[in-house]
Amino acid sequence: MSMIRTEHVSKKFGSLEVLKDINLTVENGEVICIIGPSGAGKSTFLRSLNQLETITGGKIFIEDELFLHREHDRTVESMDKQRHKELMLEMGMVFQHFNLFPHKTVLENLMLAPMTVKGKTKEEIEPLARKLLNDVGLSEKADEYPSKLSGGQKQRVAIARALAMQPKIMLFDEPTSALDPELVGEVLNVMKKLAEEGMTMLCVTHEMGFAREVADRVVFMADGVIMEEAAPEEMFNHPQNPRTQQFLQSIL
Amino acid sequence: MKEKLIQGGKAVASAFDVRRWEQKTRVIVGVLLALFVAATVLSFFKPSEQVMMDKASAQIRHELELDETRSRRQVVVTYNDLYFINYVSFTTSGVNGLSEKYVGFVGVHAADEGVWNVIGQFVNYTYRMLGCGQSVLYGAKLTILLTILTTVLGLFISIFLALGKISKNPIISLPCRAYIFFFRGTPLMIQLFCIYLAIPGIFEGFSWRGLFDASDPDAVFKGAFVAAVIAFTLNSAAYCAEIVRAAVESIDKGQYEAAKALGMTYGQTMSKIIIPQSVRRMIPPVCNEFVMLIKDASLVFVIGLMDITTISKTISASGSYLVFVPAMAIYLVITAFFTFIFGKIEKKFSVYE
Repeated sequence: MSMIRTEHVSKKFGSLEVLKDINLTVENGEVICIIGPSGAGKSTFLRSLNQLETITGGKIFIEDELFLHREHDRTVESMDKQRHKELMLEMGMVFQHFNLFPHKTVLENLMLAPMTVKGKTKEEIEPLARKLLNDVGLSEKADEYPSKLSGGQKQRVAIARALAMQPKIMLFDEPTSALDPELVGEVLNVMKKLAEEGMTMLCVTHEMGFAREVADRVVFMADGVIMEEAAPEEMFNHPQNPRTQQFLQSIL
Repeated sequence: MKEKLIQGGKAVASAFDVRRWEQKTRVIVGVLLALFVAATVLSFFKPSEQVMMDKASAQIRHELELDETRSRRQVVVTYNDLYFINYVSFTTSGVNGLSEKYVGFVGVHAADEGVWNVIGQFVNYTYRMLGCGQSVLYGAKLTILLTILTTVLGLFISIFLALGKISKNPIISLPCRAYIFFFRGTPLMIQLFCIYLAIPGIFEGFSWRGLFDASDPDAVFKGAFVAAVIAFTLNSAAYCAEIVRAAVESIDKGQYEAAKALGMTYGQTMSKIIIPQSVRRMIPPVCNEFVMLIKDASLVFVIGLMDITTISKTISASGSYLVFVPAMAIYLVITAFFTFIFGKIEKKFSVYE
């Protein structure tokens, strides 16, 4: 069973075509890293899976169910609202700029969505929230406000917050790009642990080391197109596409 | 000689020293507040008319017997000159109720000249402007009640107006825009007239006074007060809506995205994420709006209600221009008190920063 499958997904901002005919399948438990130069449409692709952007054309399947089908900026087919909402909740997202809720403590950040969206009580969700905080190594920060945390700690809280909704798929949108270099490691370690636990992950990143080590497949995107898709070894050692070779050469 | 001059200069300089101005301001406000409270407390000692008459000298008794026939000015002057802490309270209609409505004094003290006279006048005027011995809809009580009601109701309405104006749906946003445009673009006084006079004119059989029991002697004032609250609320909502809109729009887009990614609906995002964060940013301008309202409240005189400004104007018309000093002091104290409260609220909401 594939967790996510996209067919001919395209996205235009006015006349600017950001995504052109993207076809990607993410299997259950797979970790996929998307790399590529800026402006390639990596983030837009990730965000359109999560409905933060609306695609202009193509089909998105989540767990083999047709999630959304649009052509020429019109919805052709959509699923019933209840199921749509359920599937949305199976995707957790982590942002480049954390986007923690600054007026809530760390623990409240984790518990807010399960309580409001899933209607759980505080007693039901608190043990899970504390366990997740413990997993990301921040159990002693539970009652701090996000402004008191470092960038790396904020991002780990953001990961825990997404996990508190118990998603099946995690989308990471450049989770380490806004961090000081020495804080990158702590976030990547959390992500690595998550991958080892079998989470399906789709990760836009510039951390080639992480991609090489953790990813099952690496996708190279440029100019709104998937240029190359391969296992990390293949991709980093023997890139086929000249565009990929050029990109890897410029960053390594 | 020269040293003395330098010393004197230093003393003057230190009095105007801007250092420690915060403490100095606090002391001044504290003293004003203490005086204000003292005057209010004193004014609650209300001996019966009989007691006052017994204490009064023969001359006063004579004056009181005569005062129905005297002009108001003469009576006021007589009282102020003869008593220290001699409270004379007037009905809005003037001198008629005077002889039975002087509401109290503490001790008898000659206050016919010099400093005592000034102090006596201050206390007397403060008492009257505070609206003691009168219904709730009088003087400072009216101002405070009107302003608080208006701000609370106005803010509540303004949240919906602001969200409506932000809305991408023109059916929602256009009426909100029109509302804000209209109420910010026309004078409050005309709006007040319209609501107080035009509505009973349009809807026959409706009168503001009719909202209350006909046997209630204050029904006219209560009716006018309801009209005033409605007019002020509608007006203030328009201004607050822009404050709320600015605060809501200043919240980072990432917050909406994070909420959406967690599956929250628009309503949940607004009530749990965006509005609570906006509150912190709304407070300073809302406090500003509130302070403006305290002073704008004097407009209610056009529909027959008496607030601090109106009362002080009435008193000054009888020749006592000293009245403006306690009038300003009352405003300062009210403003200082509410600024303090808003400061506390702001602190409470910025705990996470």
